[in-house]
Amino acid sequence: MDTQFIVSLLIILATFALYIGIALYNTARATSDFYVAGRGVPPIFNGMAIGADWMSAASFIGMAGTIMLLGYDGLAYIMGWTGGYLFLTLLLAPQLRKYGRWTVPEFIGDRFNSKPALVLAAACTIIISFTYSIGQLSGSGVVIGRLFEIDAKIGTMLGVVLIAFYAAFGGMKGITWTQVAQYIILIIAYLIPVIFMSLQLTNNPLPWLSYGEIISQMGELDRELGISEYFAPFTNSTKWQFLALMFTLMAGTAGLPHVIVRFYTVTTMKAARWSGAWALIFIGLLYFSAPAYAAFSRFILMTQVAGSQIANLPAWTKSWVDTGKLQVADQNGDGILQWNELIIANDIVVMATPEIANLGVFVIGLVAAGAMAAALSTAGGLMISISSSFAHDIYYRVINPQATERQRLVVARISIVIATLLAGVIALDPPGAITQIVAWAFAIATGTFFPALVLGVWWKRGNAQGIIAGLLVGLAVTLGYIFAAKYGGFTIFGIIDTGAGVFGATAAFATNIIVSLATPAPPQKLQDEVINLRYPEQMIYKDGDVYMKD
Amino acid sequence: MRKIEKRQADAYFKEKNMYTLIYFILWFIVSYGVVLFADSLTDITFLGFPFHYFMGAIGALATFIILLFANAIIGDKIDRKYGIDAKRNEEIGANSTVDH
Repeated sequence: MDTQFIVSLLIILATFALYIGIALYNTARATSDFYVAGRGVPPIFNGMAIGADWMSAASFIGMAGTIMLLGYDGLAYIMGWTGGYLFLTLLLAPQLRKYGRWTVPEFIGDRFNSKPALVLAAACTIIISFTYSIGQLSGSGVVIGRLFEIDAKIGTMLGVVLIAFYAAFGGMKGITWTQVAQYIILIIAYLIPVIFMSLQLTNNPLPWLSYGEIISQMGELDRELGISEYFAPFTNSTKWQFLALMFTLMAGTAGLPHVIVRFYTVTTMKAARWSGAWALIFIGLLYFSAPAYAAFSRFILMTQVAGSQIANLPAWTKSWVDTGKLQVADQNGDGILQWNELIIANDIVVMATPEIANLGVFVIGLVAAGAMAAALSTAGGLMISISSSFAHDIYYRVINPQATERQRLVVARISIVIATLLAGVIALDPPGAITQIVAWAFAIATGTFFPALVLGVWWKRGNAQGIIAGLLVGLAVTLGYIFAAKYGGFTIFGIIDTGAGVFGATAAFATNIIVSLATPAPPQKLQDEVINLRYPEQMIYKDGDVYMKD
Repeated sequence: MRKIEKRQADAYFKEKNMYTLIYFILWFIVSYGVVLFADSLTDITFLGFPFHYFMGAIGALATFIILLFANAIIGDKIDRKYGIDAKRNEEIGANSTVDH
């Protein structure tokens, strides 16, 4: 057991103790605490909680590496995973908040006055959140496993127990304040290494702009090597795949139930507006930094690792070569490592940076704690949305409407524990790479909730038949395209499985509109409720007139 | 509760929608627009970056953030212009939700 191990362990245990302490202090006592945190979360803190909820293990560990490997094409993730906040904040969040329900399926069920739509939406929530949480759990397993040099499976189980514990205790109220703490830890952990790397390479403490010259220098290095320039567009996929992926990530953002429900925890439409703005600035801090990480790491690998004697590589490379994340093979046997003889796994970038920049044991431990915070905070939010779909939408709204508050909390807590354990078991042997699993969750959200919610909020003529048909067709087309593209090699304009949401969303919008128009209009009362969403809380629409509450 | 002109409420809705449309046009130009023409923007340099790369990594996201803050601030202004009281909204918002 070396110093590094002990320091990392202490930092992680300290942060865990903090999260559990916050969860216990904010134990949910009423069901409204459990689902919507009593609806009193201030926008700026809600923004941080959205940030932590949003930035998952994939964002923290994987994104910088993905950009490094894909070059310009990887920027679809930067724009896609942030541009969706405009859909969310401008088109959906304030209106959904005014409607005043507890969950996303409940909005759909009541807006269309349809139990089948409610159950279908609850099922979609569970499918999306469950798929996404498998990725998170296997991500946290990788971090724990690599850090403590134990099997990733044992690491996963440790993460599962922790998440089940604090999500079940605190509910949304506990999760909100835990997520605020997790955001602060993860952002500090993400920024320190990149700032130091920027200082070492460019003498500029602001990495966000300083890597421009590095990018241009790498372009020259690439030209010398005769490979396509780092910043050259569309080298890995077609332009249409770039656009389709970007749209899928944006629309998926606006259709993820665990993110939308965060906007239910504030008091007003105004607060929802501000939450979205604060959230994007907090998320932006990490997303502005990821391409800088990518550029610095690639530059170091190109100039300090490639071109050196195989027997004489920098010391930090050894542990990564041992884990197989960095492969060096002297293919032409000249004793020197060439750039094309290096194979780099994409999750090495952020995790290896503290060692590359020689930042010492404390920072390495902090980065590990930050990665854990990213995985746990997202998993916590996902577990709450799974449990609310089951305990609130299905159990309370359909199966047993007479259930007492106590019974409902018990069912909610039990469903969190079961969902976490089940996702944990699947995460032990995940069906795909982390980023791939996450991309599927986004595609499904784009094909189901995005069209359903946009039409539900903005189109009063939409009815129950339309929404049900739209959800089913959207789900079928999205899943069908994912499977056809992934296993059948079927593509349109070179759009692969990760861009499937474009087709799902188009089909769902079309189906929803056509079926709604072909069937009778919804009752006047439901249409009035939709018109009412156009105005702030003080204005009430009733029977063709607008009233002002003074 | 007093009745107000439906016309006034509709003007509120229209004004908000007009701004939303402007935000989405700008949003589209900085993200999809730049990607569509990325091939022809590679030779322009901006702050040391090739321009298309700058927009993808920094420019688009910075624009998104500015648009959302503009929306929050202008949204508050429109509310005030139509005599909406934020404090009163908070009271209504805290009490009008379905409680079950």
